[in-house]
Amino acid sequence: MLDAFIQGLLLVLQWKAFVFMLAGIFVGFWVGLLPGLGGATTLALMLPFIYNMQPVEAFAFLLGMHSVVATTGDITSILFGVPGEATTAAIILDGHAMAKRGEAGRALGAALASSFVGALIGAAALALAIPIVRPLVLTFGSPELFMLAIVGLAFIASLSAQGARGMVRGFLAGGLGLFLAMVGQDPQAGVARYTLDTLYLWQGLDLVPVLVGLFAIPEIIDLVVRGTSIAGNAPAGRISKGVFEGVKDVFRNWWLTVRCGLIGTFIGLTPGLGGAVAQWMAYGHATQSARTAEERKGFGQGDVRGVIGPGAACNSKEGGALIPTIAFGVPGGASMAILLGGFFLLGLVPGPDMLTKHLPVTFSLVWTIVIANIITVVACFLLLNRLTALTNVQGHLLVPVVLVLVFIGSYTSNSSYADILVSLIFGALGYFMVVAGWPRAPLVLGLVLGKIAENYLYISVARYDFAWLGRPVVVVLLIIAVGVILFPAVQAWRSRRAHG
Amino acid sequence: MKWKSALAAALLPLAAAAQPTHVPSFSGKTITILVGYKPGGGYDATARMLARHLPDHLPGKPTVIVQNMPGGNSIIGANHMYNVAKPDGLTIGTFNRNLPIAQLTKVQGVKFDMLKFAWIGSAANEATILAIRADLPYKNWDELRKAKENVVIGSTGPGANTHDFPLLLKDLLGVKLKIVSGYSSSADIMLAVERKEVDGRAGSYTSLKPFIDRNLVRPIIRARSNESVIEKLPVDESFAPNPRAKAIMALRSAPEVIARPYVLPPNTPADIVKVYRDAFAATIKDPALIAESQKAQFDLEYTSGDEAVKVLKEVLSQPKDIVDEFSKYVKFGE
Repeated sequence: MLDAFIQGLLLVLQWKAFVFMLAGIFVGFWVGLLPGLGGATTLALMLPFIYNMQPVEAFAFLLGMHSVVATTGDITSILFGVPGEATTAAIILDGHAMAKRGEAGRALGAALASSFVGALIGAAALALAIPIVRPLVLTFGSPELFMLAIVGLAFIASLSAQGARGMVRGFLAGGLGLFLAMVGQDPQAGVARYTLDTLYLWQGLDLVPVLVGLFAIPEIIDLVVRGTSIAGNAPAGRISKGVFEGVKDVFRNWWLTVRCGLIGTFIGLTPGLGGAVAQWMAYGHATQSARTAEERKGFGQGDVRGVIGPGAACNSKEGGALIPTIAFGVPGGASMAILLGGFFLLGLVPGPDMLTKHLPVTFSLVWTIVIANIITVVACFLLLNRLTALTNVQGHLLVPVVLVLVFIGSYTSNSSYADILVSLIFGALGYFMVVAGWPRAPLVLGLVLGKIAENYLYISVARYDFAWLGRPVVVVLLIIAVGVILFPAVQAWRSRRAHG
Repeated sequence: MKWKSALAAALLPLAAAAQPTHVPSFSGKTITILVGYKPGGGYDATARMLARHLPDHLPGKPTVIVQNMPGGNSIIGANHMYNVAKPDGLTIGTFNRNLPIAQLTKVQGVKFDMLKFAWIGSAANEATILAIRADLPYKNWDELRKAKENVVIGSTGPGANTHDFPLLLKDLLGVKLKIVSGYSSSADIMLAVERKEVDGRAGSYTSLKPFIDRNLVRPIIRARSNESVIEKLPVDESFAPNPRAKAIMALRSAPEVIARPYVLPPNTPADIVKVYRDAFAATIKDPALIAESQKAQFDLEYTSGDEAVKVLKEVLSQPKDIVDEFSKYVKFGE
């Protein structure tokens, strides 16, 4: 075991594999920064390059690229409020709010440090889980996956403002999200639901145009209305200074970082939940760390914990997602499905063999994630001064550039003008939600979890009738969901007691 | 009039010599393969593999690129090929093999006539089989047919072969199957098989082969196909209780012969179509491509454009009562 662990490291450090990894990192860096151009698409485009490579070189290239995308996606999200990737939207809420306060440096420092720690946690979890990976993944059947989606939906309680009014708004927004998740051809009867007689909506609402509209457009309107730079009137010197403050923040909130890293790993490990879910559950968990009502109100206004949470989950989920891909040949997400294609191309058959005969290769994957993240984080730190300076650029110079990025980003998801229309519609919705004080996070959570919850509920009932309700893991998850829902009330009670 | 025939005789070799210059050359041009799906799936992967090797077999060695136009289970891409793309040989399209079914059952949004495309042919054919867990007491088709208890089959949803093939076995042949749909992918169903949530799944033989080799599942029955490896498996149609049931099963499996369809826009000149047909036939025989496709575990096989049109004519000329009956079971999807 230890032998394979070290062998895996040596495999990655061979000069050829290392050079290919650097090439992968370089590509991934830009893909992550540019909104819309997704990690999965890029992997598909890069697949033909691996035909003549050795397995370790090929995976250093592909995985090096893939594990960087999420990290640099955070940068776009924080600086401009434009989700660089569908998986980096949650970090906008607090990260961009910090940038607007002139703390872009601190936010980026925290995001990079937490995503680095998250990657290490994910890789460690992957390494440690190898002996128990098969029983672990097999425990999670459709009923358990449904309950996990319910736990995710329960986080709506944490993502809404406190008080009766805030809760009602949160649940209504979540309900709208669930409703939007229903759009498209349903998988049980094949009926087209709410497609407005268009072919575009047949396969459901695409997440990228929705997220880009919902988050980026309100920020752009805000920037135009204010007529200043993103960081407003914050003094120029201060903006880049906070980087190490941000790194320190991660260590100050060490256990939060670790917990969110583990949430990410776990969601990644469960095939079918998808990366877009992990960040929101981590964000929801981060808001639970608020001790007082005032602290809770600070989330969304630029609390650094709102950056650390999704930051840590965003990269750790990649380590987790590799587990079912390697052990079962069942990809944990779209990117992993393409990596799986790469496995076949290289003559490796995912399955039990990868955990025994090809164990060094499997460990080389773990090491690639770790090393690629170290390199990226260091590279990003070198560039941070230049990057944060962008928040000092006058709005009227920045807005046209950001607008172009936003529309290209949404258009690339289906190459259809309808993508842009969807972004505009959700942009208007997002703007009014912000102005009226409605939370957007529950809407997104409902949208990403709606289809998963529906399908697994259907399968659970069709397969087990009602017997699935008695399965032990289902019961445990149900208790967790109730706990998550009641947590804001406990929080409120605790803060009252502390004050009274 | 003698001089005229003499002139004709003199010009004849010239005309013959001029013939080769009629072969269109794509030198310096860029050819686009329009894929009706997002990057990442089987249709996309096949197109990208062909794009690497087609240039070697097309006159003038053009550049071949892949463009994705997803949506509406690739109806959007097919509509574009039919109504917008120019018939100049610079755009070729590939889309969902079940689009003839969409046309037949008059799915909303279809703005094409499959028969009017200039067919290059198909790059692969697919054989759908049903496989069930090897630890079940049913070892073959005869035993499965006599099963008293429901055998649970996981599916991705209507319109996919994971769903429609077992549905017809259940409804037309009376096999005791319980179909549970809603899994996000066929790999996802495989995991459900592994944790014994479902007892088996239907799907292409190539996608099930690794699991058959691992002895997780056992192949039981297949649809009509050209795949030689699984010739010995019984064919669903041969157990049909009446001609109508047989016609419905045949109709469902017909598009599988043209599993990776490739077309040119309608009214493409015949010489361009011929160039493409020849290029596809040669590319798919190219040892370099074969080596790659075997590595990627796809089985590529060229079915000619004429053969494809024959299959389409068969599908699209079904009498109304069969079509009505068919639409009760099978919906267009995926």
